[in-house]
Parts: sequence; structure tokens; C-alpha cells
Amino acid sequence: MLLDETPNTVGYMIAGYAVFFGLPFLYLVSWLVRQRNLEKDIELIQTLSEDEKK
Amino acid sequence: MEKPNRGLQILNIASAGLLVVATGLVFLYAPQERTMGEVQRIFYFHVPSAWVSFLAFLVTFVAGIAYLRGGNRRWDIVARSSVEVGLLFTVMTIITGSIWARPAWNTWWTWDPRLTTYTIMALIYVAYIMLRQGLEDPERRARFAAVYGIVGFISVPITFMSIRWWRTIHPVVIGSGSATAQGGFDMTSRMLVTFLFSLFTFTVLYFCFLANRVRLENLAERVEQLKAKLLSA
Repeated sequence: MLLDETPNTVGYMIAGYAVFFGLPFLYLVSWLVRQRNLEKDIELIQTLSEDEKK
Repeated sequence: MEKPNRGLQILNIASAGLLVVATGLVFLYAPQERTMGEVQRIFYFHVPSAWVSFLAFLVTFVAGIAYLRGGNRRWDIVARSSVEVGLLFTVMTIITGSIWARPAWNTWWTWDPRLTTYTIMALIYVAYIMLRQGLEDPERRARFAAVYGIVGFISVPITFMSIRWWRTIHPVVIGSGSATAQGGFDMTSRMLVTFLFSLFTFTVLYFCFLANRVRLENLAERVEQLKAKLLSA
């Protein structure tokens, strides 16, 4: 790049940082969903095993 | 929802704090690079993200060896968790690299040795996840995945060295690169401080993600055990 003045590349920088923060955020949301589902499964299994004991 | 233990809570808070400081350094402390402009700031998170992807696959490699030696399921959990976290950082590296390349190289993508080897490495670890999903027996799955994780790791040093071995336009941060490299720059002391701090932050962030992912995997294992117990009762 041989330019006399600094090019305006702010848009690319914003896009880049949107990826840096957006992807991990989505990943964290997927964790929370998975964790909630697993905890529901545990509750259900515990209820079923208690019913079986009765 | 179950709360994480105290150690993990501290790690989570420390990682978030470090990320805030690193972001502050990137935007408020590091100077603007003259040739590329603001897009150069992507470098401060792009390189650490790539480093973390290599680290994650190294952990999978070590965990694979540890599993094959001792047969402890904990190592299998670490290995698979690390691949998932590593892939997150790999995807981040590829996308942000492409965004940076558009103004720096005037193209979104080119089949340069680094980009090609990095993509192959990513696909190798996507296949690792697919392999796991294709095997039913947990012992067999863990053993196959451990071997695959060890063999697949060959792609990591090849990817790392690709910009040093072959003619490439990808710049080299540490050491001397190819004469055809484009988009490289000399780091000022402020840039170096920001870069090193980001590198440290991302390393801590990786261990934070890994610990949380392992915790989630332990929960999944518990569900499987309870299901098996219920079915056998």
C-alpha cells in the first residue's frame, strides 16, 4: 500500500471487532442454553427415579 | 442454574476485566498505523486469537497422549472441550483476517500458504468433532479421538511455519518473513505493549473458556450417568 495519506478503514475495523465480540457472545449464549437443558434433564431424571421408588 | 465454583468465578471476572483493559489499550493507547489506518487495530486481537487456536489444539494433543497413557476420562473431556474452544478462535481468526485483508491486500481471500494451511487445520478439527459424533461407544470414541487429536496436531506446526517456509504475502510478527509479504509494519513501543497485553488476555480467556466448557461437559456426563442408572434400575 503506497498512499500519501492514511486511508479511512474504520468500517473494516468495526466489522472486525464486531466479530471478536459477537462470536464469543453467541458461543456463551449456546453454553447457557445447553446448561439449562442439561439441568432440566437432571431434574426430570430425578423426578422419574423418585416416582419409580414409590 | 448451578453457580460455578469460587476459582472459576474469579477466573471469569479476571478474564472479563483483562478483556476490558485490552480493548481500552487497543482503542485508547495504541497509536494509529499510518499506512493501513484504523483496520490495523484488528491485528491486536487477530494474532492472539490465532495463537489461542494453536494453544487449544496443543492442549488437545497433550490431553490425547494423557488419555491413551492412563485411560482417564477427564483427559478426553479436556481434549474435546479444547477443540470446541479452539475452533471458536479459529473461525474468529479466519473471518477477521479476511476483513483485514480486504483493505490491506485488496482481496477478501487468497489461497496463500498461511491461509490455506490454516483452513486445512480448521477442517481437520471440524472432522474431529464429526468423528466423535459418529461413534456411539464412549471408550472407543475417546480412544479414536485421542489418536486423531495427536495425528491432527501435525497441521499446527505446519500452519505456524508456513509463512517462514514458503513464499507468502502474509506478514510475520515474530522473526523475518517472506520478501513478498504485504501488510507488515514496524511496531512502536505502545503497539508492542498493547499486542503483548492482548496476547496475555487471550491466553487467560482461553483457559477461562476451557474451564467453563469442561464444567458443561461434566454436567453432560452426569446426565448420561443418571440416564444409564435409571434405565438399569
